[in-house]
Amino acid sequence: MIENEFNRRDFLKVLGWGGAAVAVSGCGFTSVQDGVENVVSYVEANEYMIPGIGVYFNSTCAQCDAACGITGKVREGRVLKLEGNAASSINRGRLCGLGQAGVQAHYNPDRVTEPRTGKGEKLDWEKALGQVKEKLTGVSGDEIAFLTGNLSGHLKVLLGNYMDALGSKNHFVYDAVAPAVMRASNKKAYGNEMPALRLDKAKVIVSFGADFLGSWVSPVNFSQQYAQFRKGVNNGGRGVLVQIEPKMTLTGANADRWIPANPGTEGVLALGLINALGAAGVSIPSDIAASVSAYGVERVSKDTGVSAEQIQKLAAVLKERSPSLVIAGGGAEGYAHGSQNAAAVALLNQVLGNVGKTVEAPSVVPFPQLAPTAGGTAGLKAFNDGLAAGKFKVVFTLGANPVYSAPAFMKLADNLKKAAFKVALADAIDETAAQADLVLPLDSAMESWGTVVAEYQAGDAHIGIQQPLMERLYDNTRSAGDILLSLVKQQKADDYKAFEDYYAYLRGAVVQAKGSLGGAGMDDDEFWSTVLSSGMVKTGNASSSLRTSASAVTLPAAAVADAAFPLRLLPYVQPSMRDGRHANLPWLQESPDPLTTIVWDSWVEMHPKTAAKLGIVEGDIVEVTSKSGSIKAQAYIFPGIHPDAVSVPFGNGHTELGRYAKGVGANVFQMLDPVFDQETGELAINETHVKVSKTGKRVIVVKEEGAAGGSQAGKKIAGRLASNNVDLSKEV
Amino acid sequence: MSVSNLLQNWSAVRHTHPVGDAPHAEYKWAMAIDLDACTGCNACSVACYAENNLPAVGKDKFEHGQQMHWMRIERYWDEDGRDMPDQGAQFLPMMCQHCEAAPCETVCPVGATNHTADGLNSQVYNRCVGSRYCSANCPFKVRYFNWYSYPDQEISWPSPMEQQLNPDVTVRTKGVMEKCTFCVQRLTVAKHNARNEGRLVQDGEVQTACQQACPTSAISFGNLVDPASKVAKQWKAQQVELAVDKQAKDEGDDSHEVGEHHSTTKLRGYRIFEELRAYPSVMYLERVRESAV
Amino acid sequence: MGKDIREDISWAKINTDVLKSLESPRPLYWVIVGVALLMFLGGVSLEAYQYRQGMGVANLNNPHVWGLFIATFIFWIGMSHSGTLLSAILHLMHADWRKPIYRFAEAMTTFSLMTAGLFVMVHLGRLWQFYYSLPYPNERGLWPNFQSPLLWDAMAIFTYLSSSVIFLFIGMIPDLAICRDHLHPGWRKKLYTVLALGWEGTDRQWRNFRVTYLTVACYLIPLAVSVHSIVASDFAMSQQPGWHVTSFPPYFVAGALYSGCAAIITLFIILRYVFKFEEYMTLPILKKTARLTFAIAMVWTYLNAIEFASVWYSHDQASKDVLIQKATGPYAFAWWGMIICGSVVPLALAFKKVQTNIPMLFSVSLLLNLGMWLERWMIVAPTFSHGYYPWTWDHDQWPSFVQWGMVFASFGWFTLLFMIFCKVFPSVSMYEVKEMVYHRSLASKMGGKGGH
Repeated sequence: MIENEFNRRDFLKVLGWGGAAVAVSGCGFTSVQDGVENVVSYVEANEYMIPGIGVYFNSTCAQCDAACGITGKVREGRVLKLEGNAASSINRGRLCGLGQAGVQAHYNPDRVTEPRTGKGEKLDWEKALGQVKEKLTGVSGDEIAFLTGNLSGHLKVLLGNYMDALGSKNHFVYDAVAPAVMRASNKKAYGNEMPALRLDKAKVIVSFGADFLGSWVSPVNFSQQYAQFRKGVNNGGRGVLVQIEPKMTLTGANADRWIPANPGTEGVLALGLINALGAAGVSIPSDIAASVSAYGVERVSKDTGVSAEQIQKLAAVLKERSPSLVIAGGGAEGYAHGSQNAAAVALLNQVLGNVGKTVEAPSVVPFPQLAPTAGGTAGLKAFNDGLAAGKFKVVFTLGANPVYSAPAFMKLADNLKKAAFKVALADAIDETAAQADLVLPLDSAMESWGTVVAEYQAGDAHIGIQQPLMERLYDNTRSAGDILLSLVKQQKADDYKAFEDYYAYLRGAVVQAKGSLGGAGMDDDEFWSTVLSSGMVKTGNASSSLRTSASAVTLPAAAVADAAFPLRLLPYVQPSMRDGRHANLPWLQESPDPLTTIVWDSWVEMHPKTAAKLGIVEGDIVEVTSKSGSIKAQAYIFPGIHPDAVSVPFGNGHTELGRYAKGVGANVFQMLDPVFDQETGELAINETHVKVSKTGKRVIVVKEEGAAGGSQAGKKIAGRLASNNVDLSKEV
Repeated sequence: MSVSNLLQNWSAVRHTHPVGDAPHAEYKWAMAIDLDACTGCNACSVACYAENNLPAVGKDKFEHGQQMHWMRIERYWDEDGRDMPDQGAQFLPMMCQHCEAAPCETVCPVGATNHTADGLNSQVYNRCVGSRYCSANCPFKVRYFNWYSYPDQEISWPSPMEQQLNPDVTVRTKGVMEKCTFCVQRLTVAKHNARNEGRLVQDGEVQTACQQACPTSAISFGNLVDPASKVAKQWKAQQVELAVDKQAKDEGDDSHEVGEHHSTTKLRGYRIFEELRAYPSVMYLERVRESAV
Repeated sequence: MGKDIREDISWAKINTDVLKSLESPRPLYWVIVGVALLMFLGGVSLEAYQYRQGMGVANLNNPHVWGLFIATFIFWIGMSHSGTLLSAILHLMHADWRKPIYRFAEAMTTFSLMTAGLFVMVHLGRLWQFYYSLPYPNERGLWPNFQSPLLWDAMAIFTYLSSSVIFLFIGMIPDLAICRDHLHPGWRKKLYTVLALGWEGTDRQWRNFRVTYLTVACYLIPLAVSVHSIVASDFAMSQQPGWHVTSFPPYFVAGALYSGCAAIITLFIILRYVFKFEEYMTLPILKKTARLTFAIAMVWTYLNAIEFASVWYSHDQASKDVLIQKATGPYAFAWWGMIICGSVVPLALAFKKVQTNIPMLFSVSLLLNLGMWLERWMIVAPTFSHGYYPWTWDHDQWPSFVQWGMVFASFGWFTLLFMIFCKVFPSVSMYEVKEMVYHRSLASKMGGKGGH
């Protein structure tokens, strides 16, 4: 007989638990231990929850500012996979790798799960928020600063209200890799910061450093348009893409002609093209013609390093094939004269008569208060200047990691210490949160409510709805909206007492406006559930228009090179890493960079000629030194870069953030020189001059590419055809 | 289990071989990838990780070539001796080609990889003993072996990341081979749904994860037996036939060894390594380059 | 030139000399056993490590899925052919000089097959499911894939192993009876009593014995040829460049005989010294073995040249690329090592002085074996690192210590088995040596001179 204290009750317990344990531990991951976790049966399951069957909820992607619509697949209460929401006019059912990895941001093992002090002591929410209130008492509005990433929708409204309640005007919006120069120059040239671009209608696209397929503005939307542009759906035949940039981006790699013009001479080339077009008989306003008359083909060829023949060919194609589309992006704008470069490119568009054809007036959400705040590095600079002057006593950060991404010359980490109390609203302990005195843990985008208005609206304007796709993973995280609501309640309890939480606030706000959101005649619940099921609200378009008149552009003289730093650093905004906030997502770290195929690291790209001159081979650890700092990283010999430049991707080199990001690669933000765009005050990221030296160490470059490199070894693997052999618009 | 039973089963199993003697009845899943639309952005690859429970292996194992990406994007350069790749790069998404006469199937000692009746090259994880002969004989090298027990690796799915795992897809243990399945779990659901309603799966009803994610819709996938499906139309328009080892495009071009085709036809469709007679189920459409600029 | 076996040696002396090897070998024997045991245990711990961690620790990777395990597997299969060659083929050809040495050659066959089998196991990703590859009836109606050369391999090896064990055993029966009769009581005597199957040396027993032995010998020869042809099929039946070669089966068989002969020379010299067999394992026998090895080396070289030529003129660019890669790529050292050790070094065996110079022969035989091992590696590895698909070319793949360690340990395991065998069973066939001496003395009586 077995003699122990095993009674019938225990036996049944074991029987039941055994089944659960086998079911769960069979997967080899978790074990349900008695008393540690609870197993709750779905006796009262929600009606939409059917074991074994996936259900889908629409929401809005929060991985970048493009605000694509997403559809999350949810099984047994867990969100498993994100797809594009087919109803969204931005991404029309498609989703990029960055967006796919949203689930990893949600399930990230390094999320911060409890409010905590700077020393890492855990707090409850009451105490944490109490601390904020306590620290804010007796502090004047001018002494409070709030640094955020781009915000839109009701969160922006709420933050605005909070800042008003505090009497502060110090809301700084910071985006490390924003198209901020473009906004300003578009505003100037077209009268609109974000005109709608119709790539699909263009017969020719000439892009001056805009990586619209990789990381620029709204890549999924542009990729779709690009596919139509190539197939000749709306432009009568396969479109031709010319990419002018000294460092090949994903878009450059897909171009019919990639032209590595000398860095910074994009404006010269644009004006030269105008001149050449004029010479070829395109009618150009006389003042403009006069202003570009100095840009003869020979001079332009000399300045830009682009052959005269190439310029003529380009001008001929632009003249013959209309409409075309000319875009300026980060590659052309990251200079001290970036605004002028962008203006010259915009002028080319106007001269070609593209405004109104391929550059259209955008749809605008008719609620200006919800429109996105468009930030750049100017916001960071202002924030830092305030910190340096010791103006701020209490500092909040949300959706921005300035300690990581501010250039070293700003000394932001030191300046931040001057603020007595720093609150970080963060989902992980990043470099900035690590310096905070109080960390308020955020819900993931799959757990929170929100409204998002995309800065770039494609098709009909809409507000993206962000809704929780599953229950909170951790009990003690809160959405940014809930935190802000609690904070604003501290100041103005009466105004917000009607709202129990941010959800109530949001629902109230949206339902209130149902009349203008296509919900007239519906009752509140019906309207609200329509909104949730579609994951967005179509708002109808506010009118917007573009200016078509053009005015002349003058370019500054080229800067003289510094012999001590002979190479130009062209930092690369990598499609999956962007400004580094996603560096802790293993799928993205393991997803090879499309061009170099390197994973899990940073690298220094250099042209074979440059490398040969410096005696560098692939895998050499090189030191890249600028006036403002230096990094060490592996060299990668890459044909797609101007011989006078080297390129290092942004995004890695974290000292915090989590297990997948920490200690991986080098942080190129740190070594940027203090050069700013003269008009907008944005940091000119391409204006850093460097020298490269070998350290003597060599590593194996961890990459997807094999020993054959990019060679097909004479085999028929990736085939290609000249365009005159085929008519794509007739294909299936 | 009698030997006669064995012999019967044997011929049944081996004669579902679909090129020639037993044509596909209801379904033949196939793909077409337009390299002119593909931008090489990697969205398909990440989507595949999400859908198919692929582990991130980390830098060390990646360095040793032990990465597990069923869908990989290859980047080629033109080999024309120019200093600058001024016609860009060429990208090629590469995954299991689900060959009709798959070299991997015949060599597996335990029959763990087989052809299904609807034209998939299936991999039975439970049956696999890990001899890796299939990978040795794969011309495309698209089979990935579980060199480690990735679920137990700290890097792959540390808690709570395991909650993201797709319950419709097996989490593979160490020692088994795996590869692209054409998202067979999605196909199965679609087929069951269709059968319950007494019909066949219609075009567009089921998408593979890579196809669904692709921002440029470069990938189309569907039933080649159904003449109304997009993929069948594409194959037909490109005059690429499943059971043929020399396509219309290759007429007049005897060389298997050139990057740019000498073909005079205006067709773009081709299959890789046609001459090996594996009869892949994936047709690629050549990338196009404009010479006017 | 050393002396051949004396014709006047008494049968009793043969018995005592050989039986002595079961009792008192030189101290070097124990050193060898000890070292071999340590090597083997090292291999066991490496396998335990690999079993626990996964195959990845061997540093194989996704295009390069096979490594030294398979190369060494072929090597050991090759080694196994020497025994069959010496005992079965030469038996049928009435080459009586084989008699003193065929026993250990047969043992070599058995043990190298056992070693080879281990490599298949070690190589499997799921060792614990290895039985899936055996055709056993089961309730799920699942059979292995009879199309797979790997399955033919498994069957051929099992058949060959069991047949060669039977052959070894049958050939030993008369000697086991001698052991039974001459040994002091103890566990060994019991063992021999059982194994000798009641052998009394009657005419009828001898007649049956002869017929059985001859039958098994005849049966074993095609089996030996088929085993290595099938191993060759693992490669030749595949579609990979560098493997898909029609001449592979004879090439493999020739290589097998070659490495087997070389190994016989090595072991001959070791046994001769360790067990004091100078009387029986004489230099003339060694000389003949060396000549045989030379002949096979030239056959192998010829077949090698055929392979290269057929690849070179095949218009199959991929195969050609692999060949060029072998000769010029990162594996060039191994490939040229194979050519030098396999085709140039054996030329030394053409010289009479070398044929009887024991230190020279010993080092030549080791070099030949090194060359043959390199050959196997060069068959397996370059096709993986430079196959059809350029994107997956991986020229830097280098086996980890786990692979090298297990290759090393396999020599320990083989030596251990072999040394134990030699201590437990008579490694020189007493009855056949007696027979040989008898025939020779008859011949010399009749012809008046010592003959071969």
